[in-house]
Amino acid sequence: MFKYTVKRLLYSAIILFFVMFIIYALMYNMPTSYVETKARELASRPGANKSYAEWLADLNAQYGMDKGVVGGYFVWLGNAVRGNWGDSWAWTIPVTQVFKNTIWYSFALSVVAYIFEILIAIPLGITAAKKQYSFTDYFTTVVSMICISMPTFFLATLLKYFFSVKLGWFDLSGMQGRNYMNLSDFGKFLDVAKHFVLPSVTLIIINIGGLMRYTRTNMLEVLNADYIRTARAKGVPEKKVINYHAFRNTLIPLITTLGGMLPGLFSGALITESLFAIRGIGFASYTSMTQADIPFIMFYLAFISIMTLLGNLISDLLYGAVDPRVRLS
Amino acid sequence: MNNSLNEALKAKAAARAGEKKTDGEMALDDVARVKVLSPGRRVFKRFVRNRLAVFGSCLLITMFLFSFAGPLFYAYGQKQIFYKYSTENVNYALAKSNTAYNGYVVDGSVDLARPVVNAMNSNIKKMLEKDEELRLVFEGEDAFLIRKLGREVYTLSKADADLVCTTGKSKALIGNYSMVGKKIVYEKGEDPVPGLEETAADNCKGKGGTFTHNGVNYTFEKGAAKSFDLYAEREGLAYVGKPLGEEFEQALEAAAGKNVFEFDGSTWLLSASGNAAKVYRLISETVGRVYSILTADTYETGVRLADDFRASALMAAYSGGSFTSSDEEYTIEPEESGALVVYDGSGAEYAEFTDFTVRRYTGEDTMDYDLKNAITSSILEMISTSSRNCTLSYALPMQNETGSYIYDENGNLQYSDSELTITQRDTGEFVVNCEQIIYVINRFESPSAKHILGTDGDGFDVLARIMYGGRVSLMVGFVVVFLEILLGIIMGGLAGYYGKWVDNLIMRLVDIFYCLPSMPIMIILGAMMDALRMNTYIRLVIMMAALGLMGWAGVARLVRGQILSLREQEFMVATEATGIKVKSRIFRHLVPNVMPQLIVTATMGMGSVIIMESTLSYLGLGVKHPLATWGTIINSVSSASAMAHYAFIWIPVGLLICLTVIAFNFVGDGLRDAYDPKSKR
Repeated sequence: MFKYTVKRLLYSAIILFFVMFIIYALMYNMPTSYVETKARELASRPGANKSYAEWLADLNAQYGMDKGVVGGYFVWLGNAVRGNWGDSWAWTIPVTQVFKNTIWYSFALSVVAYIFEILIAIPLGITAAKKQYSFTDYFTTVVSMICISMPTFFLATLLKYFFSVKLGWFDLSGMQGRNYMNLSDFGKFLDVAKHFVLPSVTLIIINIGGLMRYTRTNMLEVLNADYIRTARAKGVPEKKVINYHAFRNTLIPLITTLGGMLPGLFSGALITESLFAIRGIGFASYTSMTQADIPFIMFYLAFISIMTLLGNLISDLLYGAVDPRVRLS
Repeated sequence: MNNSLNEALKAKAAARAGEKKTDGEMALDDVARVKVLSPGRRVFKRFVRNRLAVFGSCLLITMFLFSFAGPLFYAYGQKQIFYKYSTENVNYALAKSNTAYNGYVVDGSVDLARPVVNAMNSNIKKMLEKDEELRLVFEGEDAFLIRKLGREVYTLSKADADLVCTTGKSKALIGNYSMVGKKIVYEKGEDPVPGLEETAADNCKGKGGTFTHNGVNYTFEKGAAKSFDLYAEREGLAYVGKPLGEEFEQALEAAAGKNVFEFDGSTWLLSASGNAAKVYRLISETVGRVYSILTADTYETGVRLADDFRASALMAAYSGGSFTSSDEEYTIEPEESGALVVYDGSGAEYAEFTDFTVRRYTGEDTMDYDLKNAITSSILEMISTSSRNCTLSYALPMQNETGSYIYDENGNLQYSDSELTITQRDTGEFVVNCEQIIYVINRFESPSAKHILGTDGDGFDVLARIMYGGRVSLMVGFVVVFLEILLGIIMGGLAGYYGKWVDNLIMRLVDIFYCLPSMPIMIILGAMMDALRMNTYIRLVIMMAALGLMGWAGVARLVRGQILSLREQEFMVATEATGIKVKSRIFRHLVPNVMPQLIVTATMGMGSVIIMESTLSYLGLGVKHPLATWGTIINSVSSASAMAHYAFIWIPVGLLICLTVIAFNFVGDGLRDAYDPKSKR
């Protein structure tokens, strides 16, 4: 188990190295980069003692951009390994500071959505599987299909249109109400919570479909297994068959999947946050991406890549831990 | 032989079928008893039994017909802009007091220096300030005369004027001191000053300076090589040329405070600068232009006055009053109010010069005199009651529904009452607004029979955009999925068949591509192409290539997994034993066995690619205007206010995206169940 984990971690590190290199090469070739803009700005400042070309050379050297893609990547990597991620170009504060300012909003949003997804999707999926080909089953299948097929931006716009424009229950976007500053601490919390309702509903609806289908198919497979038939043949009450024999076996793939989703809770919801102007890490990274803010994008993409790899690892380890039939090696 | 056997069997079967009908029984060896379906038909039958899958297929067929065949039968194109005639509250007219003097050419042959012409407004304002009648302006060597003819009417002429004398403190060039011979060469009419040469020799150094000699201040300036121009500072009257005598000086003194006086039958002008003044004798003047604040309005509508009519009218206004223009006799008379009224030969009022102009907002002078008058009197009333807006009702030319004017059978304009609103702007002008029918782009029209889903913010027909957008969106889906499958089959096939280090290498590559966050990368690529201002068609191609490149990893994994298990089966051993080439072993015997899974993956993948593409286009980072995709159509109404007001644009498009993706998913699901009913979903 320990050996397996170490081996997987090493593999992940190598994958990460190449993933980041691809991303760096892409960023390196950004045409009108921030560096050029910055150089132009510095050169045209009153009292500037260097020309544009000189500033450009200076800045490129500072950011390791003059050493070519490979050299520059190693400069970046060296800094990154030492925890020196640099200053964000778009936000003009250290990258880690941007991360600290935004990550908890993203996490709160994702956690709320995650909990509700589990609470809604799993019972529905199991009910659908119990009564296969019934109305409930078809209804669940169609609803989950609709949820899967809904583009995030359309769903968010629909929710905004009905709940913000037509009903006026929520603000269109943003995280705070108009008189946020005059509220008590608890009032502030409630205000922010209210602004998180529509984004989390969006996330829940988008993600619920997949989880529902996954639960249903797994439950169906378990219900078709021989030991369930045996249990029924023995005369075990249906309730016990479902809740004790079937459900516990369905939990194995569910737990591994849900466990694998845990690191992803920190990655932020790029589209949803941008559409609702939630100052989470997804929105921050979207802003940075459109402004070619290399230090922050590199940091963010490294971060979500690590989270993805970690998610895969957790899911595999959980599989070994939950299912005694599986041995990791 | 074969045929005859078949025919014989068929005949037998037919005979049996006929028998069956008669006695309704089945024999054990009945051909029709066990119906054996080909694998393809079996899959098809299972597929058709799935209601959701059939629904999805119907939906997809509709969608394809709608997108690909629809535009052929639909009247409008995707880039066709629609216009309409609309009644809008427009700026109809502008009324203001003229503050600028307009010049009209009286005699084009007179050469007036451009700087003088340009400075006319400020020169006239200076004259008004000092209450002058005449003013001389110089441009280089040339003198120009501005003469006030009457109220707000001025002429600019080229003048011939002689400098006669200077008064007050002045500097006069007395001569040139040369360092070579230490001599002063005096100017004409200057008396030599005794001892000046010695003083000059002591003081003239450098570029210039001053020195004093016998109580007189001298200034020197370096002129030609080793020589200096000497100026003497003088007080009082100093003649240029010969003195004009006592009487002239008395007349000059009598003119103190004025800049012009008469003496000896000629006009003398003073041009003051600082404490000194120069006195000129005016010899002659030729008028080049006449300037006035007043603008002409004719009593008859639509008559265009020529500039030379205005020039001769203004010239005549204060000198006799009669003038000819285009062989017609006119007279012009100043009114008490400052306006000038022009009468034609019969004595009828013909036109009027006033300092208050009312014009169409475009600057054209096409309004009735009566309307102008009505507006003017309303404005006067506004000023007297110090209100900033008022309304008046007046008959304006009638318009038909296409915005042109209506004439009766005699060719006369028809009029109808309109409501005019006059508002004073902060800048002092008055704007007249009223409703007019004008030709505009038909933006955001609600759905109607002409435009079933209305028009968008650019005046495009939404339904046409949706059809063409569907083409692009579906095409993107197909191309990307094709690329993914192609790359996936090649890489997965190689990895699965060869195993060992090839497998290891390719699978690590798969791991890397699996880990690449595709959405952020697509956003970065989009921002990059934005910065390059790429053509939208090239963007489309690059986007498809990038999406395909990032999506193949999953397919490769699937293909490899299947091939790993298939490789060990007997039919593969058989291919090896018969010595079939590796290439055809992989791609003719292994890959076709993976096809069912691939088709399912491809169908489901189509939906997710369409979602990805529309999301990118929605963010403005995918396909760009004017090319339509479903994402860009929604993007065009993505601002909060547009979203709230123009739901008829984005809701149908969004539903269409949803329906298409759902249809692909249903079909994919149905196919999977049909291929392998026991497979794990």
